[in-house]
Amino acid sequence: MAELRAGEARRPSRRRSETATRGESGYAYLTLLPVLLIMAAFSLYPIGYSVYLSLHKEVLTDPLNNPFVGFQNFDNVLHSYYLTSSLVSTAAFMVMAVPGVMIFGLLAALLLNEAFAGARILRVAILLPWAMPAVVSGIVWRWLLNGDYGVLNSALYQLGIIHDYIPWLSQPALARVGLAVAHVWREGPLAAIFLLAGLQTIPADLYSAAAVDGAGRLAAFRRITMPLLRPTIVLVLIYETIVAATTFDLVYVMTGGGPADATSLISWFAYAEVFKFLDLGTGAALAFLIALVLLGVIVLYLRVLRSEERR
Amino acid sequence: MSIETLVEGVTTGRLSRRGFLQGAVALGLSMSGAVALLEACTSSGTPGTSKADLTFVVWSYGVETIKDNIKKLEAKVSGLHVNFQDFAWTNYHDTMVARFAAKTPTDVCYGSDHWLSEWAAAGWLSPLEQKYPDLNGYTSDYFPYVIQGMTYQGKNYGIPYYADTWAFLYNEDHLKKAGISQPPTTWAELTQQSQQIKAKGIANYPVILLFAQDDPGSIEVWTSMVFSLTDGHLFDDSLNPVFNRPGSAAAKTIDWISGALTSKILDPASLTSQEIPVVKAMESGAHTFTILETYNQAELNKSGSGPFSGKFKMAPMPGDTHNTVGYVRFYAVTDQLTKRDSSVVKFGDDFLQYFGGKPDGAISPVVKRWAVENGLGFGWKSLWDDADVRKAFSTWGDPDMLRQNQQLARSKEGLTKYYPSWDVFTRSELQKAYLKQVSTTAALTAMADKWNSLKKG
Amino acid sequence: MSAHIGSRAFWRQAGLWAATAVMLLFILGPILWMLDSSFQGENELLTRPSHVVPQQPTIANFDYIFTGTVPQGQNVRGTLRSRISQEAREIPAALENSAIIALVVALVNVALGALAAYTFARVKFRGKSLVFNFLLGTRLLPAIAVAIPYYAIVSALGLLDSYLGLILVYLTFSLPFTIWFLRDYIMSLPIDIEEAAQIDGCGRLQLFTRIVLPLAAPGLAAAGAFAFMLSYNEFLFALLLTQTIGSQTLPVILSSVATNPDASLALIATSVVLAMVPPLIFAIAFQRFLTRGLVAALGKS
Repeated sequence: MAELRAGEARRPSRRRSETATRGESGYAYLTLLPVLLIMAAFSLYPIGYSVYLSLHKEVLTDPLNNPFVGFQNFDNVLHSYYLTSSLVSTAAFMVMAVPGVMIFGLLAALLLNEAFAGARILRVAILLPWAMPAVVSGIVWRWLLNGDYGVLNSALYQLGIIHDYIPWLSQPALARVGLAVAHVWREGPLAAIFLLAGLQTIPADLYSAAAVDGAGRLAAFRRITMPLLRPTIVLVLIYETIVAATTFDLVYVMTGGGPADATSLISWFAYAEVFKFLDLGTGAALAFLIALVLLGVIVLYLRVLRSEERR
Repeated sequence: MSIETLVEGVTTGRLSRRGFLQGAVALGLSMSGAVALLEACTSSGTPGTSKADLTFVVWSYGVETIKDNIKKLEAKVSGLHVNFQDFAWTNYHDTMVARFAAKTPTDVCYGSDHWLSEWAAAGWLSPLEQKYPDLNGYTSDYFPYVIQGMTYQGKNYGIPYYADTWAFLYNEDHLKKAGISQPPTTWAELTQQSQQIKAKGIANYPVILLFAQDDPGSIEVWTSMVFSLTDGHLFDDSLNPVFNRPGSAAAKTIDWISGALTSKILDPASLTSQEIPVVKAMESGAHTFTILETYNQAELNKSGSGPFSGKFKMAPMPGDTHNTVGYVRFYAVTDQLTKRDSSVVKFGDDFLQYFGGKPDGAISPVVKRWAVENGLGFGWKSLWDDADVRKAFSTWGDPDMLRQNQQLARSKEGLTKYYPSWDVFTRSELQKAYLKQVSTTAALTAMADKWNSLKKG
Repeated sequence: MSAHIGSRAFWRQAGLWAATAVMLLFILGPILWMLDSSFQGENELLTRPSHVVPQQPTIANFDYIFTGTVPQGQNVRGTLRSRISQEAREIPAALENSAIIALVVALVNVALGALAAYTFARVKFRGKSLVFNFLLGTRLLPAIAVAIPYYAIVSALGLLDSYLGLILVYLTFSLPFTIWFLRDYIMSLPIDIEEAAQIDGCGRLQLFTRIVLPLAAPGLAAAGAFAFMLSYNEFLFALLLTQTIGSQTLPVILSSVATNPDASLALIATSVVLAMVPPLIFAIAFQRFLTRGLVAALGKS
């Protein structure tokens, strides 16, 4: 019985939701008008503008020379010295950051779902890192990881785990780890909240039924929890992937892209193109390329979610 | 032109697309960019107004002193009001790029020799001869590296705010404890002394250097180390790279640094340390040797700075020639200021004379104040003979040593409009070499290739 | 559930508490260290090993932010390089700006968003899918690509350095999610009550205000809370579109203080501590709503 098809057990078939009456388009658009106005103003123009920039030569130290250059800027990006290395840096970061967030989120959600006093304390505590600006996370962790007077080093040293302070942010590999840790600290709580909500939608009867059938906790987890949680996991996973891929604030505050460009993620170079190399066309082209990749990810997300809903 | 005018211009069709883009573009992709976007709400940037509001932008050093100087100036010159804005030094370049591109009203701002060519080529700064020929007449009293740092295409673009050198500083107490009587005169000696100091447990990492990727000083530190060696050059007279030749001073410098990291006499945290953290670390006694701007010797020896206050001494840069980098930070006149009303331009003259010229015939009291109170160097040769200045300098340093360092100082090489872009690339490339992620030769080759491609345009 | 020592239940409880403790250490550790540091002077913060218990505790840092009294004496003054970060004194004003802006955004989100969400949930009209997808699609472009144009628009409207400018931009960011979330939430509400009211002759708007809104209260609270947090934390555009303390929000001031190497560590810690107060209040007040609202939306679609 615990083998009930999860989809059937959980979701009632989609009932008719609209309470349709004829000729309501007027009401509809009236109620949507303010929202649409705001959204249109802030989305149509920016896209057009970015496209324009990306197709022209716009270098600030050459202000009188702005010809149409077609896809030259995109070509510049694809042949830039930083494309490969920053993609590698971004991938390395994401490999740690995304699973880190998911694991943290899942563990926290499972803990929070338990009925014991600790869960209540945790419930309040877990909102704190997420409720703070991302830059705070960067500031705090940069200080914690400081190689000369950071408290993390101090603690590890006094516990005898290390014999010398580790200069976390001065070593490329460790700097990436440090960045990922700060990221998990900040983003993990949101994942936890979503996953907790997902956990709470699983009917308790399923677990009771499983217990009656003699299934152990682990079996129940594998056969009930994970399948039913899957849609939520997918949702969180894709959101967190996008967030990790476009991380910028954290890099800026914690490492400035260093050491040796180890933490110069791809979005960092979109910034550098404009502010350090003064090449606005290439900067816009890079931003566009990033946006296109993200669009692909989001389309994937919508597809997966829709197919989940149909189950 | 203010932002409102820009946008109004394009919506009414008077301003060309390109003109608008130039103005509105490059705004805020990041923190520094955003901070830069100061609007013209309070300051009057439009020509033809009778208010004389000058917008003065600086990086955040000695802000209370600057504000006080402004107050004195405003009391002296009636009708003048100065709008003052400051931004962190490490963000300054990017912040100003956004400001200039958006034509946010800026009349006078700090500049550094790193960026002069870039900003002048972009048309953001204007040579002094254009509206301030009288201010152009002081160059005979400047050191050569000062003149070089403020010149672009043969024209002078600034009045020195301060000019200084990069100095080799050491903690005298540490040396005494280690039984060393004289500071090192070569890099090999530095290595040796560091090993002694480390072995005796006086400092875990005797050397610390400010090599943070985001500190504009990091390229200057490296360059000063290169200059100190024989054939210490980065470029030849035609601005072709010479640092990538086998056995070059640059290669030797990189090798020394990566060797120092491996043998653990150079603090690995150097790669992420900016100026202030290095100063703080030195003050706490964690390290013995460093290379910092000369005025930081004043900072280190200030009473109350820490347990070693007063014990920091300067020695010539170790090496063969003992040359070092001299740099100038200056007051720059923006293109915008020159386009304003002649009455405003006149106020600009009052401002510049007061802050860095010769108001009332004698060298500006502001310059002297920076020297006496903060130990900042200056571009005026004659000020070295001033009794007050000498007295003030001798409380924290040796005026003769300071003078000597000034004479050993050379301007950075390769100061062109693409130097800043090359600098960004180079800082990270150098770090890769220090960390031995790439070989010294590979790094220098990459730096040369980057230079050549930028030069080609 | 009683747990005898040694019983399975006991070990389970012990395990849960241990796991919770580790998690709490990770989450709260940094925050507690900031709190600890804000009561130490600069020199003390630079010691090795770090002092978990301050040996020379002081409130001079807080005093400086609220009253401007410059810390005296070696221990507290430490190495303030000819400048104490004046910006730290702007934290209280920035907190106020942030709170007001975030509150307005949350309220408008709930009002406009709920109205729009109800329309999407219950009303059939032409172009519904298209409009809905357009709204969601607007969130695809990363901030980098739209930063410049956003500045131009806000500037053209004369709204730079104003609450309204930021509010508009944050509404752009938050409305799509709010509408999507509330649409799902409203769709999950039982339809019968509304249908009955319709038969009784209730108009659309009345249906919305009298019946749906009260029913959807937990969802509205959750949506409002999300919108609040999104605005409160937003950094890039706050930085871009504000120039003076009249409208600069907390993340802007805080990052400015903390990334300026001239600012003393002690002041940075103090600023961070102060910045945590509103989120703490928020966390305590809303933790129940958030999960309830989410559960409803996620579980019923």
